Order: sequence, then structure tokens, then C-alpha cells
Amino acid sequence: MLTATKILQNVPIFNRMFPVDQSDGLEEVNSWPALMIVTSFVWLFVAGLLGVAMPIIQVMGLDTEWFYRALTAHAAALSFPFAFQLMVGISLHRAGGCLGKSVSGWLPALNYICMNLGAALLAVAILVGGLSVSLVLMFPLPVVGVATGQWSMSALILGFTGIGLVLFTMIIWYPVNILKISFFGDSREELVLSARTINDPGMLGMVLASLVLLITGTPLLIVATYVLVALYGLIPLAAIAWATEPVVFQFAFFVFAHNLMEAMALMVISGIYATLPLYLSDGTRKLYSNTLANLALWILLLTSFSSFLHHFITLLPNLPASLAYHANIMSWATGIGSALSIFTILATIWKHGVRMNPGLLACLMGFTLYILDGASAVVTSNVAWSFHLHGTMWQSGHTMTVLVAMSFMWLGVIYHHYPVMTGRVLDDKLGYWFVGLVSVGSIGAALVMLAGGAAGMPRRFADWAQGDWMIYGDFIQLFGAMIGIGMLALAINLMKSRQIDQASGHPASAPEPAE
Amino acid sequence: MLDFIYMNAWGAFAITLFMFIPFFIVFLFMVRKRTVTKPTPSTVEQGGYAQAEWMWLGLVSVVFVGVNIASIGYMPTVATANAVASGQEITDVSVTAQSWSYDISDSKIEVGHPIRFSGKSTDTMHGFAIYHPDGHVLFTMMLMPGLANPTSLIHTFTEPGTYTVRCLEYCGLSHHEMRDEIVVVARNG
Repeated sequence: MLTATKILQNVPIFNRMFPVDQSDGLEEVNSWPALMIVTSFVWLFVAGLLGVAMPIIQVMGLDTEWFYRALTAHAAALSFPFAFQLMVGISLHRAGGCLGKSVSGWLPALNYICMNLGAALLAVAILVGGLSVSLVLMFPLPVVGVATGQWSMSALILGFTGIGLVLFTMIIWYPVNILKISFFGDSREELVLSARTINDPGMLGMVLASLVLLITGTPLLIVATYVLVALYGLIPLAAIAWATEPVVFQFAFFVFAHNLMEAMALMVISGIYATLPLYLSDGTRKLYSNTLANLALWILLLTSFSSFLHHFITLLPNLPASLAYHANIMSWATGIGSALSIFTILATIWKHGVRMNPGLLACLMGFTLYILDGASAVVTSNVAWSFHLHGTMWQSGHTMTVLVAMSFMWLGVIYHHYPVMTGRVLDDKLGYWFVGLVSVGSIGAALVMLAGGAAGMPRRFADWAQGDWMIYGDFIQLFGAMIGIGMLALAINLMKSRQIDQASGHPASAPEPAE
Repeated sequence: MLDFIYMNAWGAFAITLFMFIPFFIVFLFMVRKRTVTKPTPSTVEQGGYAQAEWMWLGLVSVVFVGVNIASIGYMPTVATANAVASGQEITDVSVTAQSWSYDISDSKIEVGHPIRFSGKSTDTMHGFAIYHPDGHVLFTMMLMPGLANPTSLIHTFTEPGTYTVRCLEYCGLSHHEMRDEIVVVARNG
């Protein structure tokens, strides 16, 4: 029995959601991914509680310090140990099962330990130590906060240690794991669930995403490592003045942070390309055009890299206007890639028909949410609008929407993988409730946040009553609650899943034959 | 209409809905129409897809290019460059931001007069956003500490009134309390 399976069996409550089927000989492909997925759900629960806390703190007029702690922890928990780890789990399962390679050993273990230990240290630093630096660190705020007595140096060191471990996972361990599975080692037939090659649109996105993370993340990792080593006192802070220059840190940070989101988008679009064909009604199991699908991924990759400069449009003239225009153009050009994806997906559905099920519907609704996010993103990347929208709730709406969209699509893909991983099936009725509630809740929350931003409501702001923005906060809470109830429906569905051989009378829930 | 679209964030919201709602309706319609309960061989004609593909890409390109070209005249970068090139008299207002207050060199400004706001931060990242009296954001600037040159842009106020200044870059536990005011008066008074 693998270590991951042992750990999974001992996670209270959540272990019922993903019991790894040890009898099918696929433990080496299922075990670590299942543990990562389950752990991501634990963090989702934590993030959800923190999300509910924020409007409650405002309404009850509690100390605003707690709002900023909840804000930082909520965003960090959702982005890294939930959304990123969910993606890691599912993508490693796909990579292993499609290429016949084992997903066990020191690399996935390191992946898991660094992500979760790092997130835990960061959570303690935020919730106990008060390190309220927001999701994007807002450097040099972490060190300025120590100087102004907002939090302690201990909290800073603990938080940065956590962030460092998380960064190592996202930038090194996970991409190396994917690339190792994709290019090294022999394929084992007994582990192949559905034979694919990396030319397949469903696989290409994974490889591209891994390369994006490695390349764009390395500068940040170098800077962050130096800062961490200096914080530990191993080298003097004066020796790393080049790394602690705000402009150096900010640009290194955003070239990675922006492309992290783009890499996750590449991964999830790739996931839809792999999953959709399996549910076509005519049984052809083919996308409308692999060429068009791959072209969309390449366009997204090439245009997104330098579009990160849109984070600095309002830094004029320190970001020269020419680079602002470049960022504007490249950001909108990523929309061309999305347009090709839209056409590929719709043409596939129109040409072949689909057999609907909750998993596929979750993927498709997640995709529509991704397009809504894309529209909001390109709009705020326009130079004219950026000067009206930057720093408002529009950006928070955009960030939340893209994370929910990607997670929604991944959760849809899980429906497809679930019988293979666990030997169990899910209930369709609960599945459709999950999809319906999350769809309405997430589209509603997105539109309200965007509207709040248009109304001038600032993001990361502990006083919504200041500008009569409380109404937006109330609706965000309402739609957020819908998302939470939808996720609860999913959790119940996973808990109540039945063994495949016991699932009679529900042919729609029966797993697909070996892909 | 272009003024509403590009000088007001609600215009941005309208364009976002303009791009999303038709897509959403068409997407749901097509998915619903082609959802079948039993597997059937495809009876859809092969032809027509390439034409639809080009029409779709053409539509997207026209919308994308059109929306962005129409915005050029409203970009503060362009307005700033034009104001400098025009040779007209520009009043300089310097802004220094620190946690959690502003030091604004001149808080009383005349309508119709180009003002160059130049902002610096002394400690951490701050924002300098000016809100119209009706609550919408006129413009915002990012102030990054340690830079040799200030962040700056030129803006000409067109209406008198009291304009609120707020920080839109999270800067710590009193970020929400960091604000000031600018009073815009009519010419010659």
C-alpha cells in the first residue's frame, strides 16, 4: 500500500470522498492524485469559512484587522492549496493514466508535502501572526509592516517560509513531475487508462503549462530564495538590496503570477479537449479539429507571456506608454486563442451531439464562466479602462471568476475520473444540483463584483459602507453562499457514492468503458 | 456614447456584457439543441463549418480591433502626451503618499486647466485614485516606492466639486482610511 493511500484512509470525513480502489492494480496512478484532490477539498472548506467571515466582519463592525487577515488567508487558500493542488491532482492522474507512467515516488510526495506544509505555515502566519499582505504580497508591504508594527518579524519569516515552499511546488516540483511523466521512463501497459500522445490537444496543454511555470517562475524563485535566506540571517539584508528593490520584486512576481493563471488556463482547456470527445453522441470521440484546438493553445501561450505588463499600466511613465500599449494588444490577442477554443468546442458539440451528464455540464458551465472572466480581463487590460478600473473590485471579480471557472472545469473532469480512481459512481441528481447552484452563484458573484468595481468599490478594503458599496457586498455574500451550497452538494455526492457493481438502475451514472 | 463607454467604468461593464451575453445565449442554445439521450450517428453536413469559422474569427477580430481603436482618444497616456506636445500651460501637483496619508502640494484646482499629477511613495505600494463627486473613478495611479521618477499623468477637470482621493493599492491595516480631497473650482473663482 502506498503512503498516499495510508494517509488518505486516515483523513477523517474527507476520506470517504475518494477511497482509492486498491483491487484494480492502478494504485500507482490513483493514490497520490486522490490524496491531493481530497486535501484540496479540505482547503476549500477552510477558504469558504474565511470567505463568509469577511462580510460578517464588516456588517458586525468588528476590528478591520480581522477583515484583512481573512482576506489574505481566503485568497491564499483558494489559489494555492485548493485550486492549484486540485489541478495538480487531476492532471497527474491524467498524465499517468494517458501515458502509462507511475505517479508515485519522491516527486509527487515532495509536491504534496511542500504545497500543504507551505500553505499551513502561511495560514498560521496570517491568522495567528497577523501577516495581512493580501494574495499578491504587495511587496515591500511585508517588511514595511514589520517596521510599522502591523505584524512581527516572526510572522513574516514564517509566512515567507510557507510561501517559499508553495513556490517551489508550483515552479519546480510539479512542472518537473509532468515533464518527467511526459518525456522520460517507459510506458507500462497495465497503467494505461486511455493511450494518448503529447500531440493530442488534451495532453499538449499540460506540457506547455509546465514549461510556462518553470520559465516564468525561475526569476521569482531566485529573488524569493535570496530574500528568505536573508530573513533567516544567513546573509545580510544589505547584500540582497538588488532583490528587495520593490520594482525588481514586483516585476519578477507578476511575470510569474500572471503566467501562473495562464498556465492553469492552458491546463484546463486541455482538460476539456480531452474530456468532451468522450461524451459525443455519435461515438466518434474526436474534436472538430485537433489543429484548431492546438493552435488555440499556442496562441494563448505566446500572447499571454508579455501581457503580464498590464498589471503596471497605471505606473506611467515608469512603465513606458509603449509597453502599456503592447500589454493592451497582447492581452486582447489572448482572446483570439479563446475564440478558437470556443469555436472548437461548439463545432464539436454541434457536429457530433453530446450525451449530457453532470460532469460534462460542469466543464461546459465552467467554460462559459471562463469566457465571462476573459471578457472582464481584456476590458480591464485596455489602457483607457485600466485607469478607471485598476484597484477596484473589478480585479477581485476577475481573479475570483477565473479561479472558480478553472476549478469548476476540473471538478467536471473529476466526474469522469472518479469511477476509475475509486471504483464508485456518483448520483446524477445531486450532480445537477451542484452544477446549477455553482453556475448561478458564480456568474452572479462575478457580475456583482464587476458592477461593484464599475461603481468604484475598492478591492481589499475593509469599509464597504464608506462609498455606499455595502449592497454589492450583500449580493456577493448571497451568491457566494450559493456556490458554497453547490459545493456541499458535491461533497454529499462524493460521500454517498456507490460501488460500481451496486449502481443498478442508473445507467447514466455507469462509468464509461475503458477509454 | 463613446464618452460614456470609455470615460466611465460602467461603459466597461456594458462592453463586457455585450461580449458575454450573446455568447452565453448562443452557447446554451447550441448545447441544449445538440444534447441527445441516445447515441446516434452524426447526420450533420460536413460543409459550412469552415465558413462559420472564418465568420466567427472575423467578427471577433472586428469587435476587438474596433473597441480598442475607439479607445485610443480616451487613454490617459495619449491625453498626457498630447497635453505635453500642445505646449499649453500645465500646472504641476506633486503627491507624496505614505502609510496612511497623502501630502498633496495643491488641493485646489481650476476647471479646464491641465494638471500634471506626479506621485511618489515613501514606504510601500500606494495608489492615488481620484473619485468624481458622483462616485465613479476618474483615474487611478500606482505609486511604487524606490523609483527615481514619479508616476504621473495629466488630467483636465471639467466640473467643479469636491473630489475624493483614495488609495487603491492595498497598503496595510489602515488602507481603507487613507484618503484625502481635492476641490475643483470654476475658472476665476
